[in-house]
Amino acid sequence: MIAIMKTTSFKLLGLSALVLFMFSSCKKWVDYNPREDFRITELDYLRSESDYRTMAVSVYTPLQWLNQAVPVGDIASDNAVSGGENASDVLSLQQIDDMTHTPVNSTLTELWQAAYEGINRANYLHQYKDKNLAGETVTFAGKEALYGEIYFLRAYYYFHLVKFFGDVPLFTEKRLGLGESASLTRSPKADVYAQIERDLTAAITALPAIQVQKGRITKYAAQALLGKVLLYQRKYEAAATVLESVITANAFSLVTDFGSMFLESGENGPESIFEIQYTNTSPYYNWGGVTRGQGNYAIQQCGIRGLNGSADMPYAAGWSTNLPSQNLANAYAAGDQRKAVTVLDIEAYKTANPSFGITYQVAPYKNTGLYNQKYLPRKGQTSGQIELNYLNNQRIIRYADVLLMAAEAYNRSATANDTKAQAYLNLVRQRAFRDNLHNITSTGNTLYQAILDERRLELAMEGERFFDLVRTGQGSKITGFTANKHEVFPIPQQEVLVSNLTQNSGY
Amino acid sequence: MNPKLLKWAFAVMLLVFTLPSFAQKTPVSGRVQNKQSGEVLSGATVTVKGTNVSAVTDSKGKFTINAQPGSVLVITYAGMAQQELTLAGQASDLVVKLDESAETTLSNVVVVGYGTQRITKVSGAIATVKGADIEKLRPVRTEEALQGRASGVNVIQPGTPGAKPTVLVRGIPSFSGTDPVVIIDGVPQTLTDLNSIAPTDIESINVLKDAATSAIYGVRGGNGVIVVTTRSGRKSSKTDISLNASYGLQEVINTVGVLNATEYAAMINEGSTVSGGPVVFPDLSTIGVGTNWQNEVFKRAPMQSHTVSARGGAERMGYFLSVGYMNQGGIVGGIDKSKFSRGNFTANLNFDLTSKLKFILNTTGVILDGRGIQENSFNSVLGSALNFDPTVSVANTVAGTPGKYGFSNLLLSEVFNPLTKLENTYNKNTGSKLYGKFELQYSLMKNLQVTSRFGYTKYDGNAKSFTPLAFYGPNNIDNSMNADGSAVAGRHNSVSHEKVSNFNYTWESFANYNFEIGGKSRFETVAGFAMAKVSGNAAGATRQDVPFNSWEFADFTAATGNNTAANTNALSGYYYQYFRRNVSGFGRVNYDYDNRYLLSGTIRRDGSYAFGTQNKYANFISGSAGWVVSNERFFNSKLINYLKLRASYGTTGNENVDPQFVGIVNGGPSYGPTANSNGYNFNNVFYAGSTVGSAANDALRWEKQLQMNAGLDISLFKNALNISADYFQKEVDGLLFTPSASLYLGTVPIPTSNIGSTRSTGIDLTITYNQTIAKKVKLNNAFTFTTAKNEVTATNSDGTAKIMGGYYFNGQSQSVTVFEKGHTPGYFYGYKTNGLFQNAAEIAASATQAGAVPGDIRFVDMNKDGIINAQDMTKIGDPFPSFTLGWNFSMEWGGFDFTAFTYASIGNDVYRAYERNANFTNKDRSVLARWTGEGTTNDARYPRFTFVDANSNIRVSDRFVEDGSFIKIKNLQLGYTFKSRMQKSWFSSFRIYAQARNAFVFTKYTGFDPEIAGGILDTGVDRGSYPQPRTYTVGIDIKL
Repeated sequence: MIAIMKTTSFKLLGLSALVLFMFSSCKKWVDYNPREDFRITELDYLRSESDYRTMAVSVYTPLQWLNQAVPVGDIASDNAVSGGENASDVLSLQQIDDMTHTPVNSTLTELWQAAYEGINRANYLHQYKDKNLAGETVTFAGKEALYGEIYFLRAYYYFHLVKFFGDVPLFTEKRLGLGESASLTRSPKADVYAQIERDLTAAITALPAIQVQKGRITKYAAQALLGKVLLYQRKYEAAATVLESVITANAFSLVTDFGSMFLESGENGPESIFEIQYTNTSPYYNWGGVTRGQGNYAIQQCGIRGLNGSADMPYAAGWSTNLPSQNLANAYAAGDQRKAVTVLDIEAYKTANPSFGITYQVAPYKNTGLYNQKYLPRKGQTSGQIELNYLNNQRIIRYADVLLMAAEAYNRSATANDTKAQAYLNLVRQRAFRDNLHNITSTGNTLYQAILDERRLELAMEGERFFDLVRTGQGSKITGFTANKHEVFPIPQQEVLVSNLTQNSGY
Repeated sequence: MNPKLLKWAFAVMLLVFTLPSFAQKTPVSGRVQNKQSGEVLSGATVTVKGTNVSAVTDSKGKFTINAQPGSVLVITYAGMAQQELTLAGQASDLVVKLDESAETTLSNVVVVGYGTQRITKVSGAIATVKGADIEKLRPVRTEEALQGRASGVNVIQPGTPGAKPTVLVRGIPSFSGTDPVVIIDGVPQTLTDLNSIAPTDIESINVLKDAATSAIYGVRGGNGVIVVTTRSGRKSSKTDISLNASYGLQEVINTVGVLNATEYAAMINEGSTVSGGPVVFPDLSTIGVGTNWQNEVFKRAPMQSHTVSARGGAERMGYFLSVGYMNQGGIVGGIDKSKFSRGNFTANLNFDLTSKLKFILNTTGVILDGRGIQENSFNSVLGSALNFDPTVSVANTVAGTPGKYGFSNLLLSEVFNPLTKLENTYNKNTGSKLYGKFELQYSLMKNLQVTSRFGYTKYDGNAKSFTPLAFYGPNNIDNSMNADGSAVAGRHNSVSHEKVSNFNYTWESFANYNFEIGGKSRFETVAGFAMAKVSGNAAGATRQDVPFNSWEFADFTAATGNNTAANTNALSGYYYQYFRRNVSGFGRVNYDYDNRYLLSGTIRRDGSYAFGTQNKYANFISGSAGWVVSNERFFNSKLINYLKLRASYGTTGNENVDPQFVGIVNGGPSYGPTANSNGYNFNNVFYAGSTVGSAANDALRWEKQLQMNAGLDISLFKNALNISADYFQKEVDGLLFTPSASLYLGTVPIPTSNIGSTRSTGIDLTITYNQTIAKKVKLNNAFTFTTAKNEVTATNSDGTAKIMGGYYFNGQSQSVTVFEKGHTPGYFYGYKTNGLFQNAAEIAASATQAGAVPGDIRFVDMNKDGIINAQDMTKIGDPFPSFTLGWNFSMEWGGFDFTAFTYASIGNDVYRAYERNANFTNKDRSVLARWTGEGTTNDARYPRFTFVDANSNIRVSDRFVEDGSFIKIKNLQLGYTFKSRMQKSWFSSFRIYAQARNAFVFTKYTGFDPEIAGGILDTGVDRGSYPQPRTYTVGIDIKL
């Protein structure tokens, strides 16, 4: 009996020991270290120059996501119509075209969120500029210049936001965490502009005049953007000064053949000051985020539906969105070489080129018969998921734009310099008409209007028109435009619901 | 715990168990027969009470067992009252007669977590489906057997061969996942794994529905627990061999009414001219009916199933062996393109190593093989069949163009000839799985049994798909092949391979101790611990330029693509790995006093690697009580034979979450939910970038579910009528949920948080009625009734979150389902319609609706602000049924048996989302009833037809919501069994049967099939989902 008891006790003892032993080793079993999954955490990062440089590249990335800012800038204006297959195709653009847009608009939501991701990325690098998360200081040659790019980009994102939405939440110290959702209010436009100017001034000091890699931000890009930002605030004298420094640097020139700069071979050319870079070498296929790849989604949109023809015919088919208006085509004077480059009259083109054997489908909705030639999709310039991967860069600031801005700044300055204004304006016109016969000689307000008209013709379909009209108080030229409402777009509804931001008036 | 420790622990465990012990036994033999008919009963279980010693009767009803004089034999047989017999001494010709009329369902034993319980002593809520019922249904996947048979369980089946259905145990508690956990012979697996168990191997399925029964599974029990018990060996019995074979043909039940070619051409002309365009088809008279693409893609597909199994045992061991093969072709595209096949090899062995130590070894090897087609979108194979141009001929008649099948000159993108799509579909997906367990059971003392079980699942999958260059017509922009057969510049064919591998194991050790105090108080207790790990990895590679654009050469080794600066996608690959770890301790006490008062308490403590640092562990506690009224002395009813009242309350949980940390992502484009891409190119050279890619929430914890259950079991009329009814209410607190956050935080994915709650209430009801007419005709009716009401009671901190789902595309990206506070999860959300505008005056009198002209739909101004906009969107339907009913009727007469199973789902809506609605896509026949002028129709389903839909008649509205209620005669089966009368016959029974599945479907739904499975936010959204087939089967079952 005792023996049995002993055996049983022994077994129970063994069992209890085992249970104890199990529980003691449990704690480790349910701990988790991301390294078990080979995942890099923020503690592991920003410890070398290469980490900083790699992370700076991704501050550029959201530039590409702002892709639709260009079509919106023209569709919202008198330059272009939304087009599409029918009234409910690309609804977000249709509404912007008809000035019936509401706070629920997928395009505007993307343009808001993408810019803020850019700001958060820039802020994160700003946050750890002096010391990384581990408290170490990483120094390397060119760090200040690298931060010049970062501050330019943050300024660009804020400028984009303030142009589109007016007053916006302003934060610069760090990337916001989940706990900081709904903690901000909208800062006045003036404060946002002040921050943009600070960032650009810092960038101008730090940036080199020439970057080895084309597409990287230069000092001139920062100066040109600062000029534009000042112009938007009607700080004409300061704008004239900074724009003049771009012109006198003699780093840029107007290309003779206006059309050539919109071709692949014309990218990052002598007239280019700032371009958002796209490529087809990194094919992307996420229909859940069409603008988030390396390709330019806006190209496919412009294309002619069902376009077909011989192998020599250069264009590829697309979705007949963002169609130039007849009003725009009519605005060009005879002999202006820019007209054919800006608008493609498909019927005329077909007749002029019988050898191409062109067949196409008439744009089914809001047809104007005209297409956005500057950004028309061309054969062989995309890859992978063809709709998403066109290589065409978006020309954001060209030298011609700088000349026209400078002309405007001089014309509007308290002590106007119309001679300079005429000279800069006529440089642009001489290239357009290939002669001096079309020079403008007027002054004052007539000259001002001539400069604004020239901006329309020169920069049509490049996303400038709507904002130019609004900032110069000519919104009424847009059909359906309501003053004191349509100068800015509505804040996304989610920001009103979730973030408790106030809505722009009228929406 | 590291593997070394694990091995050590196992060794200690073995040592503890193998200490031997012996006792004197003598053989006893006898036979078992049916008291009423005198028929011998093979397969009855004879157990020596209080031990593991058992035997099973052979085909002649005979058994032999070792037992000491004075011990008690317990004889059980499914469907008959259990008997106990005290042995006087050695006996060789015992005759046991079992009574079939008494306590038919009540004598059953159910398998619960870490033990078994007699159903009479259960005070929680459990639904049971027996092996015999599963055998009659012959499902492909086991879940099918739960549909309509287990009350409280909603099964929504897809038509795709082998695909996982939606299984909801008691409503929709969670947003992050609703699959119940599956326990196969004590080993946790997932619902996905039910594709690899042969239904013929199943002895029974118990669904643990309430907290009292599922809390022992703690953090995994929140969505209910499906406990599957497979057949096992029978010691000391002769071998029973069963053969089953069936062959069937499947066909589509109905097709969808779309326009024929002439009607289509007429509508296109109308749409075009109304919008100011040209006449597209100048001469309608020559067009004819054209091609019915649905008839072209639906094929008759075979289905077959064969199994051989053997069960028996020697004195100290028992075995169940089975080999099975099933193969189901798909009706969309036929067996060449769509199929599921499975081979099973099972060996379930149990050994009495000593009189006290038992060893159980279950092993199943499975080979899976499948082929699939694109599904569930407007441009899937079925979607294309519905949307493609009917004027196109089946065969390509245009000289000088490649491709076997015709093309459209009007549809130039997205929607292609479905046959071309099918022809260009090449894939295969094979897998092998090994699962099972090693289990030691040791009787430490009288009534104290210790069990240690190591259960595992090992899966290796191998998938390949080939995307050939395709030509869809000369002007098609999606062509990757030119008309001359060459590749379009920049386009390549490609072959992709993927290998996945995973190994999951659970090691559980527990002790069961049963004891009595004072003769009337009985305790059954269990305590133990478990640790589990899920781990896996996957690797894939894609390569372009497969020789000859042919499936025959579609392999990485044969493809020739190499990356260049211009094409970085010619050759690509990936690898990833994952794991999860859990540790748990648990215990349960069941108490019963005199078979009258039942009490039960459960506790489980779970630790999970996935939870935040502040919440590594969670406790789950439940309790239940039962009162067997009919066992009270005062209870004296001739009508009521049995009456039990039950109630339970407790917590369970859910851990559908991954560990969170602030991570840095590095590289290029993101294909994640927020497309948080990286990288940029400078002068067309791509540079990878990095940024913050994830966020952490240290307070993350499990979802906590509180469930109350009240129910009763009652048997009437000499146990002929049994009713089991339950009412439940469950509330989920700390719902795992991705909150809505400010857009200005950017695109770093928002981490899951515990915000939100849901409440579900419902009733489960099971009624069985058995009757024998004229002593020969046995009738058996089983009804189930299931209803659950679900409501989201909180989201975010302020209730504002709105999770959209049910995405589809009809020219615009649309979303139709929403998870939102105050509503049922996944309800349909859109505009309400109110007829059609008949004239301009009506438009002027109505709320402002941009773009409306007469003939357009008038939408309802829900918020009465005088303008129709997004704020007017509201509830327009509910994809989940108000209730479901199952009715299983079976009849036996002589050798004949007949089974009819009817399943009804009432109140579920379907959203019709398969129409692409492009100008030149085909249309639903309802367009023929369109508005053509004032007074022609005021039905919002039939607005005017135009290419330019400025009113957006296609927006998400109740126009597309249909009543998806249905009654399906899911199974009709008639069989005849030949019983062997001669001693020397080669078989003991031989049954032949004919079966029709989905024989009749009654529904008002105009699409293919109103049963549309999917996640919570996809259920009921018909994007052209794969319909269930009607199947005619003949088969034989032989017992040797």
